[in-house]
Amino acid sequence: MAVATLPHGATAGHADHGEVDQLYVETRALRLQGFLLFLISDCVLFSSFIFAYLYMRNSGQSWPPPGINHLDVAFAALNSVVLFGSGATMHYALENWKHNNFGRYAFFMIATIVLGILFLSGQAYEYTNLYFKEHVSWAGSGIFGASFFTLTGMHGFHVTVGVIYLTVLFLQSVHGVYTKDKYFGLTAGTLYWHFVDVIWVALFTIFYLI
Amino acid sequence: MDIANIERIIAIVGGIIVAIVSAIALKNDWKTPGLDNQVFKVMLALLFVGAVIALLAGAHVLGNFPSPKGA
Amino acid sequence: MSTTVEHAGGIADHIHPEPQGFIRRYVFSLDHKIIGIQYLITGFVFLVLAGLLAEVIRTQLLHANGGFVSNDTYNEVYTMHGSAMVWLVIIPLITGGFGNIIMPLQIGARDVAFPWLNMLSFWIFPVAGLMLFSSFLIGAPVAGWTEYPPMSLQAGPGTSMWAAAIFLVGVSSTLTGINFVVTMFQMRAPGMTFTRMPLFCWAQLATAPLLMIATTALAAALAALFMERQFGVPFFDPTKGGSPLMWQHMFWFYSHPAVYIMILPAFGMISEIIPTFSRKPIFGYKMIAFSSMAIALAGMMVWAHHMFTSGLAPYLQLPFMILTFTIAIPTGVKIFSWVATLWGGKIHYTTSMLFALGFLALFTLGGITGVFLAAVPFDLHVHGTYFVVAHFHYVLVGGSLMGVFAGMYYYFPKMTGRLMSEKLGKWHFWLFFIGFNGTFLPQHWLGMLGMPRRVPVYDPQFQFWNDVSTFGSYVMTFSILLFFINVLVSIRNGKKSGPNPWGARTLEWQIPSPPHYYNFKNIPTVYGLPYDFSQPLPYKGLEEELTDSPVHVGAH
Repeated sequence: MAVATLPHGATAGHADHGEVDQLYVETRALRLQGFLLFLISDCVLFSSFIFAYLYMRNSGQSWPPPGINHLDVAFAALNSVVLFGSGATMHYALENWKHNNFGRYAFFMIATIVLGILFLSGQAYEYTNLYFKEHVSWAGSGIFGASFFTLTGMHGFHVTVGVIYLTVLFLQSVHGVYTKDKYFGLTAGTLYWHFVDVIWVALFTIFYLI
Repeated sequence: MDIANIERIIAIVGGIIVAIVSAIALKNDWKTPGLDNQVFKVMLALLFVGAVIALLAGAHVLGNFPSPKGA
Repeated sequence: MSTTVEHAGGIADHIHPEPQGFIRRYVFSLDHKIIGIQYLITGFVFLVLAGLLAEVIRTQLLHANGGFVSNDTYNEVYTMHGSAMVWLVIIPLITGGFGNIIMPLQIGARDVAFPWLNMLSFWIFPVAGLMLFSSFLIGAPVAGWTEYPPMSLQAGPGTSMWAAAIFLVGVSSTLTGINFVVTMFQMRAPGMTFTRMPLFCWAQLATAPLLMIATTALAAALAALFMERQFGVPFFDPTKGGSPLMWQHMFWFYSHPAVYIMILPAFGMISEIIPTFSRKPIFGYKMIAFSSMAIALAGMMVWAHHMFTSGLAPYLQLPFMILTFTIAIPTGVKIFSWVATLWGGKIHYTTSMLFALGFLALFTLGGITGVFLAAVPFDLHVHGTYFVVAHFHYVLVGGSLMGVFAGMYYYFPKMTGRLMSEKLGKWHFWLFFIGFNGTFLPQHWLGMLGMPRRVPVYDPQFQFWNDVSTFGSYVMTFSILLFFINVLVSIRNGKKSGPNPWGARTLEWQIPSPPHYYNFKNIPTVYGLPYDFSQPLPYKGLEEELTDSPVHVGAH
C-alpha cells in the first residue's frame, strides 16, 4: 500500500493525525507525479531547441560559422562545476532535512542558493564577454547566436526561478511549514534544481564541447 | 600564471570533488524506494556524468581548442 | 465508513463541502463536470465562428473568379478557419470537454487530480481564443494554419498574435494532459485495474501524453517564430542563416501527433457507444486499448510525411512512408473490432448510434485516403491540392466532429438529466451526412484534377464540383443549426432521462443524471470489464447512489 512509500512511517508518533497523514500520502503521490510530468514536458521544450540547433549545425558546411570563435571552455567548465556543485549541496540539504539536522540543512540550502547566484553571475559575465568582445549577439549571429542565447537564456531563466523558489522554500522551512514527515515542497525543489543541472549537462556538451 | 589556467585548475579540482560527492550520494541512496528517490538516482548519475565532462573539459581532453592560448 | 479498507481516510473519501454562489459553482468552478461543460460551450461558440469562416471560403469558391471577399481577406479567412477549428474547436471539445466530464466518472473518482489546475487550463483557453480572433483587427495571419516561413515571417502583425494565442492554447492543453495522466494513474476506484478501464479512458490515456509532450514541442516552435518576428532572431530566415525547413520539422512534430489528439478520444467515445447500442460486449477490448497506445506511439514518429515535397532527403522518405503505413494497422484493428461488435448485435438506431455508424464509414474513407497520401509517389502528385483538403476533412469532420456529435447525443442526458430530441437529431444526422459528403467527396476529384488548395480563384473547368461542394456545405451548416436548436430546446424541455437512458454499463451511468458534485456517495469497487452485457454489473458499493440517503460532507 501507499503507506510504505513514506520514509518515516507517517503514523509513528502522530497517532491522532493518522487519517490526515493518509490523505497526505495520497496527495503527495499525486503532486509528485504531476511535478515529474511537468519536468518531462519542460524537458521537451529544451529538446526542441536543441534539436533545432543540432539540425542546423549538421546541415551547414562549416562549423563554427565564419566570424565566430570557439567559446571559452575553461571558464564554462568552471561555471558548470559551480552549478553541478550546487546540485550536490541541494541533495545534501534534503538528506539532512530527512535526518532532522536543521543546522546542516540550512548550511547546504544557503550554499545551494549562493552557488546558483554565482552561476548566474558567471553567465552574465560570459554574455557580456561574448557580446562586447566577440560580437556574438542574439539576433545578429545566425543560428549559433539564436540557439546559444535562446537555450542558455531559457536555462538561465530556469536557474533564476530556481533561486527564487529555493529561497522561498528556505524561508518556509524556517517558519515551520515543513515537518520531518511532510516536506513535499522540499522534494519538489530538489527535483527542480536537479533538473536544471541536468539540462546544463546537455547544453554544456552541445555548445562548448562538440 | 594567467586567469584561464587558474579557471581550468579550479574547474578540474571542483569537478573531481563534485563527481566524488555525487557518486557517494548515489551509493548511499542506491537502495531507497519510491518514485522520487528513483528520479533522484537518475539525476545524481547524470550529475556525475556532467561533473566528469566538466572536469575533462577543464583538463583539455574534451572540447574544441582552435589555438592553444597561453601555451 | 462503509467503503473499502484500502481507501479509508484517503482522497477518495474526502468530500469537500459544496461550493456556494453562482460564481463559485458555475464560473470559476473546480468541478470537473462544470469545467467540461464550460469547455463544450466555449468550443461550440468557436465552432460557430470557425464554421462561418468556412462558409465564407465556400461562398467565395462558388464562382471561378471569386468576388465574394478580396483575395487578402480570403487568405486570412482560411488561415483562421484552420487554426480555430484545430486548436479552439476539436482539441478542446474532445479532450477538455468530454475528457473532463466523462473520464473521472468512468474511473470512479470524485474529481481530477488537480482541480485548480483544471480550472486554470480552462480559463486560459477562451482568453487565447479571443486573442486569436482579435488578430483580425490588426491583420490576421495569412500563411495557412501551418504558417510556413518565409511567408509567416513577412506577413502582418497578426501572425505574432497568432503565435502567442496558439502558445497559450498549448499551455492549456499541456496542463490538461498532466492532469489527466495523474488522474488516471492515481485515482482509479479500487479494483479498477488498467485492463478493466473503459475504452474512453484508454483513449484519453493515449492522448494525454501526446498533449503533454507534443504540445510542448509546438510551444518551442511558436516561441521561435515569435522571437524571429519580433526581435529578428534568425531561426527560420535563410538569408540570415536560419532554415525554413526547420519550422516544418518542429511544427509537424507537434501537428502530426495533434491529429491523433483529435481522433483518439473520438475513437474512445465510439468504443463506448457501439457496444451499448449493439447490446453486445465489445469485440477485442484489449486490442482496442493497446491499439490506441500503438497509434499514439507511432504517431510521434511519422511527422515528416507532411514534408515529402519540401526537399526531404530520399533516404528519409522511405522510412517515414513505411512508418506511416504501419499506423493503418492499429487503426484497422479498431475498425475491425467495431464492425465485429456490431455483427450479430441487437442494434438500436438512436441518433448517437447513427453518428457512430456514420463515423465508421466516413473515418474509414478518410483513413484510406490517408494511406494513399502516405505513399511518396502519390503524395508528390496531389500534395497541396484539394485531395489533401478532402482527406483531412474526412478524418476531422467525418471522424472527430461526428465523434463529438455522437458523444453529445450520448452524454447529453448525463450532463443535463434530459434527453435530446431524437426527431431533430435524426434530421441533424441525415442532413449532416449528406451535406458532408456533398461538400468533401467532390474535393477528391478536384484534387486529382489538380486544383490547388488555398486559392481564391480557379480554372473554370472546376466550377461544377466546387458548386456542388458549396451547396453541400450549406446543407451541413443548416444541419448544425438544427443541432444547436436541439441542444437549446432539450436543455429546458427535453424528456427526463433518468440515470441510465441507454442501458449502458460503465460507471457514470450508475449514478444520478446530472451527477452530484461529489460524483459518488461511496467509491465503488470494480470486479470486471464494463462491457459484458447479460452479466450482472461488475460493481459493488453503488447501492446508495440512486437513493436519498445522506452523504457525509466534509468527513473522511
